[in-house]
Amino acid sequence: MGEKRVIVVGGGLAGLAAAVRIAEQGVPVDLFSMVPVKRSHSVCAQGGINAANEVAKQQGYSEYQHFDETLIGGDYLADQGPVLEMTNYAPKIIDLLDRMGVPFNRTDEGYLALRMFGGSLFKRTQFAGASTGQQLLYALDEQTRRFAAEGKVTMYEFWEFLWPVLEGEGDDRRCVGIVAQDMRTMQIRSFRGDAVIMATGGCGIIFGKSTNSVICTGGAASRCYQAGAWYANPEMIQVHPTAIPGADKCRLMSESARGEGGRVWVPRKKGDPRPGHEIPEDERWYFLEERYPKYKNLVPRDIASREIFDVCVNDGMGVYGENQVYLDLTHKPREFLDRRLGAILEIYEKFVGEDPRVTPMRIFPSVHYSMGGMWTGFEPGDAVPDEPVAHVHQPGETPPIGTEPGHGMKFGAPNNMMTNITGLYAFGEVNFAYHGATRLGANSLLSCIFDGLYCGMSVVNYINDCAPAGEVSQSVYDSAVKQEQDKHDALISASETGIDDPDTNPYTIAKEMGVMMTEASSVVKTGEGLQRCLDGLKSLRERFSRVRLGDGSAWTNQTLSFTRAVGDMLILAETIVKGGLLRKESRGSHYRLDYPERDDANFMKTTVVEFVPDAEDQHRVFYRDVIAPYIKARPRKYGKTDDAKETPKAEKEAATSV
Amino acid sequence: MGTEPGFFKRHHFLLRRLHSLSGIVPIGLFLVNHLLTNSTIAWGMINSRGAEGLPPSVIEQVGQSTAMRVGTFQHEVGFINNMPFLILIEIALWVSIAFHAILGVYYATSGSPNVKHYAYQDNWRYSLQRLTGYVAILYIFYHVATLRWGWTWLTPTDEPWTYERASSTLAMALRGQMTGLSAGGMAVSLFYFIGITACVYHFANGLWTAAISWGLTVSESAQKRWGYVCTGFGAALMLLAWASLIGFLTIDIDDARQVEMSKHATTAATDQNALVEHLAAAETE
Amino acid sequence: MATKAAPNRTVRFRIKRCDGPGKPSYWHEFDVVPEKNANVISCLKQIAEHPVTASGQKVSPPVWDSGCLEEVCGACTMVVNGKVRQTCTCLVDVYAPNNGDTITLEPMSKFPVVRDLWVDRQRLFHNLTRIKGWVPIDNTYALGPGPKESPEKQQVRYKLSECMSCGCCLEACPQFQLETNESKWDDAFIGANAISQVRYFNEHQTGKQLKSDRLDTMSEKGGISDCGNAQNCVKVCPKEIPLTESIGAVGRAVTIHSIASFFSRK
Repeated sequence: MGEKRVIVVGGGLAGLAAAVRIAEQGVPVDLFSMVPVKRSHSVCAQGGINAANEVAKQQGYSEYQHFDETLIGGDYLADQGPVLEMTNYAPKIIDLLDRMGVPFNRTDEGYLALRMFGGSLFKRTQFAGASTGQQLLYALDEQTRRFAAEGKVTMYEFWEFLWPVLEGEGDDRRCVGIVAQDMRTMQIRSFRGDAVIMATGGCGIIFGKSTNSVICTGGAASRCYQAGAWYANPEMIQVHPTAIPGADKCRLMSESARGEGGRVWVPRKKGDPRPGHEIPEDERWYFLEERYPKYKNLVPRDIASREIFDVCVNDGMGVYGENQVYLDLTHKPREFLDRRLGAILEIYEKFVGEDPRVTPMRIFPSVHYSMGGMWTGFEPGDAVPDEPVAHVHQPGETPPIGTEPGHGMKFGAPNNMMTNITGLYAFGEVNFAYHGATRLGANSLLSCIFDGLYCGMSVVNYINDCAPAGEVSQSVYDSAVKQEQDKHDALISASETGIDDPDTNPYTIAKEMGVMMTEASSVVKTGEGLQRCLDGLKSLRERFSRVRLGDGSAWTNQTLSFTRAVGDMLILAETIVKGGLLRKESRGSHYRLDYPERDDANFMKTTVVEFVPDAEDQHRVFYRDVIAPYIKARPRKYGKTDDAKETPKAEKEAATSV
Repeated sequence: MGTEPGFFKRHHFLLRRLHSLSGIVPIGLFLVNHLLTNSTIAWGMINSRGAEGLPPSVIEQVGQSTAMRVGTFQHEVGFINNMPFLILIEIALWVSIAFHAILGVYYATSGSPNVKHYAYQDNWRYSLQRLTGYVAILYIFYHVATLRWGWTWLTPTDEPWTYERASSTLAMALRGQMTGLSAGGMAVSLFYFIGITACVYHFANGLWTAAISWGLTVSESAQKRWGYVCTGFGAALMLLAWASLIGFLTIDIDDARQVEMSKHATTAATDQNALVEHLAAAETE
Repeated sequence: MATKAAPNRTVRFRIKRCDGPGKPSYWHEFDVVPEKNANVISCLKQIAEHPVTASGQKVSPPVWDSGCLEEVCGACTMVVNGKVRQTCTCLVDVYAPNNGDTITLEPMSKFPVVRDLWVDRQRLFHNLTRIKGWVPIDNTYALGPGPKESPEKQQVRYKLSECMSCGCCLEACPQFQLETNESKWDDAFIGANAISQVRYFNEHQTGKQLKSDRLDTMSEKGGISDCGNAQNCVKVCPKEIPLTESIGAVGRAVTIHSIASFFSRK
C-alpha cells in the first residue's frame, strides 16, 4: 500500500490546520468533509482569537494569565496541561496566521489591533472585522489548496464519515481507516489510514435551533462513540447570551459587540411599548453592569446567558414582554462600528430589517458550543509543581511557569489528543479538552488551530512508529463497509415516496428532540426536567426505530443522510442529558436549579461516557479526576455585587417554562 | 493535452487587447474624423470660407447657405482624396474593421446576455454593445460597398458616389430621388440613422469599457467619472452623426450639383494651369 | 422584518426539480404557511417534512444545499424569482407578503445540477487553484510575525477576503458559462470572484511572490480579458465586494505585466 497516510475527517479550522501541518511533514493526507471545506462551520466564528500579545504583556498580562482566565472561565473542569500548552503557544499561532495573510485589523502604525473580550480585563483578542473565523478558515483553506495542488492532500468533499475502521481487541484495538459515503453517488467505501483525526465540530443541531450550521449534528462524534470511543463532559453545552432568534436557526451576535462597548439592557418599565432608542437613559436597566460592576457586560457567557434568562423568563422584564433584551451599540460612531463590526451588523440588518447603528438590537441566548466531546488524552509536560497555586494571579506578577513549549503537554507525544482508541484522534470542538465547563469567547479558534498544529505533530510521530495500516487484512475493511451498507439499505427499504406520518417522520422526530433538549438541557436544568427529557428521548428512539423516509432514491439522498444523523443525534442527546442528570452541582454552563453550587469535592471530575451497545442503559458513565497540578480552583464570581441576586431568583419559582 | 495550443489560444490576451485597441485606433479615430468631415454638410453654413472660389453667380443661384455647406464638405472630401497613399490608408482601415468585426462576433457569441433577470443599466449597455456591434458590421459593409465599391444595385439610385460630386451623389444614395424620399430612400435613410447611431454608441461605450479593461479606471468613482466623459463625448459624436444625416437629407441636390460642378471646374482649371506652367518651365530648360 | 406580511397566509413555492445529472427538469409546487420570521430555508424544511405538492401528490423531499444560514458560508445560493442570491437571507415576509404569493426556486444555471436545487460548484474552487490563491509561506513553524500593514490596506484586503465563493457573481455574469467538461475549465472564463482574489493575494507582501504567475493566468484564455464589463457581478454580490474595482486593478496589473514581459521576458 506504499506510504503511510493520515485521514482527517472535517475541514474546519482544526481539520485544515492538521492537514497542513501533517502534509508539510511529507505525510500524505486524505481530507474528508461533508461540504467544500471553505463552507465549514468555522466561518461562523466572529469575534476574534485570543493570545497574550505584546501590548497586553507590557501592561502586565501574560500567557499565564490567559491560562488562568481560561481555567476559571471553564470553572476548573479542564485538564490543565493542554490548556497551559495552548495559551503558551497562542502567540505563535497569531504570528503564523499573520504570515498566512489573514487580514487582521490594524493599528495606525500597522500592528495588529486588539479588542476586549469576555472573561478578561485586558485587550488580548486579535480580530479581522467581525468575521474572524471566516478569515482564519480561508487562510487555512488556501494553504490546504496549495498542498492539494501539489498532490500532498487529497480532498474528499461531499463525503460523509460513517464509521471508524477498527482492528484488534482490547489494548491492541486501533483505528486503521474509515468508512465514508459519497453524498452524491451514495457510494459507500472504506479508506485506509494509519491514523484518523476526527475534526468534526460540535453538535448544536441536537438542540434544533442553535447558532450552529446545519452540518453540526454531532453525527460523526456519535458514530465514533458508538464504535467505542469515550465521550466526555457531554452535559457541557454553551449557551451564547446574544443571538437573533429565527425560524430556522438562531444567528450569532458576536461577543465582540459587547467587547467593542455594546451594553445589555431592558426597559425599567415592564412591557414598555416604546421602541428602544426612544427610551431615556434613566429608564433603562443595565442589569449586567449593575450586577457585575467589574466585568460589566463582559462576564463569561454562561453568566450573561443566565442573567438574561433570569430577567426575561423569571422577572418577565423582556423587551415588549417577550424573551428578548437589548444589545445596544447606538452610542458608538457609525464609522467605528462599520470598521470593527460591519459583518455582524449587516447580518442583523438583513435578518431583522432594522439598522443596529440606530436601533438597539433585540437578542436572546441560544445554544452555541459544545465544550464536551470525544475524550482525549495527553502526555503531561515537564512543569511539575509541588502543589497548585492557590492565590489569585495578579497582573504584572512573574508567572510561575514559563512559556517554552512542553511545560503543559509534551510536544510530539503520540497520545496527545488521541482518544481511548489507538490511532483515533479528536481535534477542535469535537474533543473535550480545553474549555472545561464554559469556553471563553475567542478561545475556540485558538483551540482548533492549536490542536491541528501542535497535536498534528503527535499524529506524525504516531504513524512513524505504528504498524502500517496497509498490512491490515482487507476483510476488516469489507466488514465495516458491509455494516454501513446494511444500515443504509435498511433505511432505503423503510422509504416510501412522500410519506408524511409525524410518528415516524425523521424531520418531525428531530424537531421534537430539539424542543425537548432546549427546554430541559440548556440555560437552566433541573433533575426532574432532565429525567423527563431522558424519558422523552427514549420514546423518540423507539419511534426512530420505525422511521420511514420520504425518499428512497439511490442518488444524492439527503433525507437518508439526515435520518441517519438523527439516529446518531438521539444517542448523543441521551449522553448530554444523562451527564447533566448525574452531575449534581452547578459548574460553568451546567446550571442545576436543584444544585446551584459548585461541588469540587464530588464533581471536579470529567464525566466520561462509554457506549455499551447491549446493555439496558447503553451509556455507562464514570468519572475521572480533573488533572489540575497548576492552579487550585477558586470561587468563580467575576466580582458580582453582594446586593445583586447571588443566583437567579428562579430558584424559588418553578423554572420549567422557557 | 500534449498538443501545442493553437494560435488563438496562445495569443488570446494579445488578440483581445488588439481588438480593444483597434476599436479606438484606427477605427474610432477614423470615425471621429469621418463624422467631423461629413457633418460639415450641416455646419458648413457657418464656415465663412466654405464658398471660397465659387463664382458669385453660383452662390447667388443656390444660396449662401447651400454654397457654404456643399463647398466646405467638398473641400474636405477633396482634401482626403488628395492624401498620398490613400488606398493604403483605406486598406489598413478595412483590415482593422474586418479584424475588429470578426473577432468581435467571435467574442460576442461567447456571451449570453441576461438583461431579463438582471436589468441593470451596465448590463443593458453590455448587451447593447454586442447588438450595436452586429448592426455596425452590417451598416459599415453596406456603407462602404455602396459608396466606395459602387454596388449601386443596393441603393435606391443607380448613380454611383464619386468624390468629385460627393454631396449630391451621397444625397441621392440616401434619398433615392431628387426631392423628398423614395420608399427605398426612406428605408436606406432609416438604416443610416440606426447604423450611425449604433456606431457612435459602440465607440463611446467601448471607450468606457476599454478604460476598465486596460486598467485606466480602477475605482468605482473613476469609472463613473470616465463614464461621464464617455457620455459627453458620445453625445457630441451623436450630434455630429445625426447632423450629417440631416444635412444630406435636407440639402437641395440640384443646387449641390451646381456647386460641385463649378467647384470641380475651378479645381480642374487650376490643375490644368499648373500643368501647363510646369511643362513650359521644363521646355525652357 | 418590519413589513406588514399577512399572518397565516399561504405561500406557493414553485421548485424546479431534477433527479440527477442528465435527467430532465420538472416543476413541483408546494403550499406553505410560513413560520414567524420565515426564510426560504425554513420553508424548504417545512416542505421536506411534508413533501406533498399543492395538488396533493406525494413526492420525494426536495434536495438543497445549505450550511451556516448566516450568509457567511455561501452554500444556500439559488435562483429566487429569476435572480441569484442566498436563500437564508431571503425573507419570506419580504418576498411573499400576501396570501397566495409565489416564490420560484431554481438551481443556479452556471453549475451542473447534482439534484434538485443542489449544484456542484467545484469549478469555483478549481479556479482558486488556477490563480494560486494562497500566500506562499515557508512553513507553519514559529518564524515571528507577518509583514506590517497599514489599516487602509487592511480594509481593502479584508473586504476582498470576505468572498465566500458562493458564485452569485458567476451566475449573473453573461460571460461565465456552464461547463460540465472539467478538462475545459482551464480555458473557460474564470469569473469575477477569482479575479478579485488575484488582487487580494497580489496585495499581500508575501502573496506578491506569486504575482507574476497569477497575472500570467489572468492573461491566458479564460482570464481577465474575457470579462465583458457587464458589471452584474458587483451588483449581485451579497458581500458587496468591489469586484469591478478588482477587475480594473487586475486589468491594470496585467497591462503593465504584459508590456513588461514583452520587453524583458527571456
